[in-house]
Amino acid sequence: MDPGNLPQLPRPATEPWRNLSLPRRIARNLGHGDWPLLIGSLLLTAFVGALLVSVIWSVLEAGFKAMSWQFISQNNVYITPTTSLDFGGVGHAVLGTVLIVGLATVITVPLGVLVAVYLTETREKPRNTVRTLVQAMSGLPSVVSGLFIYSALIVGLHIHYGGWLGSLALIPLMLPTVTRVAEEALRLVPMELRNGALALGAPAYRAFLQVTMPAAKSGLITALILGIARVIGETAPLLLTVNYANNTVFDMSQPMASLPTYIFQYLGGSYDTALARAWGAALIVLVLVAVLFTAARLVSRGKRARKRKSAAKA
Amino acid sequence: MSETPVNTAVPAKRKLSIKPHSRADRVFYGLARGASIGAIVLVVLILVFLLMRSGATFGQQGIGFVLGNTWNGSVNPPVLQIGPMLWGSILIAIIGVLFAVPMSIATAYFIEFMAAKPIAKVATVIVDLLAAIPSIVIGLWGLIVFTPVAAGWAKALHSVLGFIPIFGNATGNYVGSPFIAGWIVAVMIVPIITSVTREIFSQMDRDIINASIALGASKHTSFFKVILPTGSGGIVGGVLLGLGRALGETVAIYFVLNLSFNINWGQVLENRGGSVASLILSKFGEATTQEISGLMAAGLVLFVITLVVNWVAAWIVNLAQPWRR
Repeated sequence: MDPGNLPQLPRPATEPWRNLSLPRRIARNLGHGDWPLLIGSLLLTAFVGALLVSVIWSVLEAGFKAMSWQFISQNNVYITPTTSLDFGGVGHAVLGTVLIVGLATVITVPLGVLVAVYLTETREKPRNTVRTLVQAMSGLPSVVSGLFIYSALIVGLHIHYGGWLGSLALIPLMLPTVTRVAEEALRLVPMELRNGALALGAPAYRAFLQVTMPAAKSGLITALILGIARVIGETAPLLLTVNYANNTVFDMSQPMASLPTYIFQYLGGSYDTALARAWGAALIVLVLVAVLFTAARLVSRGKRARKRKSAAKA
Repeated sequence: MSETPVNTAVPAKRKLSIKPHSRADRVFYGLARGASIGAIVLVVLILVFLLMRSGATFGQQGIGFVLGNTWNGSVNPPVLQIGPMLWGSILIAIIGVLFAVPMSIATAYFIEFMAAKPIAKVATVIVDLLAAIPSIVIGLWGLIVFTPVAAGWAKALHSVLGFIPIFGNATGNYVGSPFIAGWIVAVMIVPIITSVTREIFSQMDRDIINASIALGASKHTSFFKVILPTGSGGIVGGVLLGLGRALGETVAIYFVLNLSFNINWGQVLENRGGSVASLILSKFGEATTQEISGLMAAGLVLFVITLVVNWVAAWIVNLAQPWRR
């Protein structure tokens, strides 16, 4: 037979569902009573997504109206809730947030990482107690943490409101996050790596500093970032311990402004200009949090990508 | 020639442990131990201090502190009772959990079992993002954007189901109700419950799910008869974690709820409710020394409740996730 006249057979479909239209493709995967589950699950998921979009969109939309260079850089002196948005801004609050959260970070991150070291690198008995207690701290309501500092230091010892008290109030809130993430990171370092270093004669502290810690570096940085993100938007503890300020304050023993308390301050009134200021500050907080989370993601992803590359090489 | 028994030819793996040998090592381990002791001291310090400061209130008010419904710091002796606030906190947390649980389980199911990989990844990021939004921003959104919308829902709910007592509303004012506060709390705890549930789903033994499919169960059936019962322990733990967060929520509720000492037992659509955390925030500014003691006592009660809830949650999650041990 002439090979040109062979009947054209359809190519065997390796993935037969590719020929189906989308609804049939979905239907093919579903049994008889699956529709309620499918619809319910999709609807509720979509609703969660809608809530998030609503939050982000409102902040972006209203926040951009207030945004300008002067809003980011200036402070709040001589500003009333009705002052036009051409004057004043949140510069002092950004500075305050950076100082207060910065001090809290400088204290908490070493503390949290050391606790994580205790939990992963030692074999001491009370580890479980420590872990449970630190995790219990994550249930401490933030307002109670602020109230603790307020009552102990401000009412009890007559210390004046100040930025450093805010940092103290943030420590119990930040510590559980830092410890948990750092512990997971250290736990992921293979035991062989540590034992190798020890077998080569390294003392335990050098094995940790030069082998374990570098191996867990990205995880530890993630712990730092997530810790900061946890407390950067905390309002109640700062209201109780730092109070407000309208001018730019560098001295951490004085009342300071911070972004969350700034929002709180302007949310009380019902003037449009005041609300616009609150939205603007909310936008800045959200951008800060987003930057921190993207950084955390990049740090942990970079690590994974490197691992994959080296695995491919091997 | 005697044969070597197999079990001695391969010696059992020795348990390796690190012992500090030099002074530097001892310093290193000492630092770690010191930090842990510091963390424990911090927790104990907070607890002891709260106990000490609130002792006066507990002694003076007795059991009425958590049951009564009057707060008056200007009479002598002051009457400080947080009943409506305590009940309000619990009510709002329950409403929040009721809203959040279906959303969270659906989202977790969507991510783990339905969505294609790239979509699942995006959904995971979105849920994590929702967890990262500070509560003050949620409060701002809740007050300005969400409250009018939710008041509309509440009105509709009342007009349809108003004959049921809990959906009654005599005032016609739908703003500032536990219903709205519950929604706000739900927005904040959905990510917590979702991530725990997702973790449970992803680690679940696929064989039992496949077995149920092979026996002819539909996805619907295998979800409700196999996946949910198997994962229920972990999910309950996640829900309790969310409950702990919901109980301690402060600023967001402060903005969307009308705090009232006129106790609201269950008329969730009426514009009065309570929240211990928000009470502390609203009262501490002009509080007398005795009132501060009362607020400390309120904080202590809140902390203890949250602690118990969190401990039970951690215990259940741990039981349900043996692979994490």
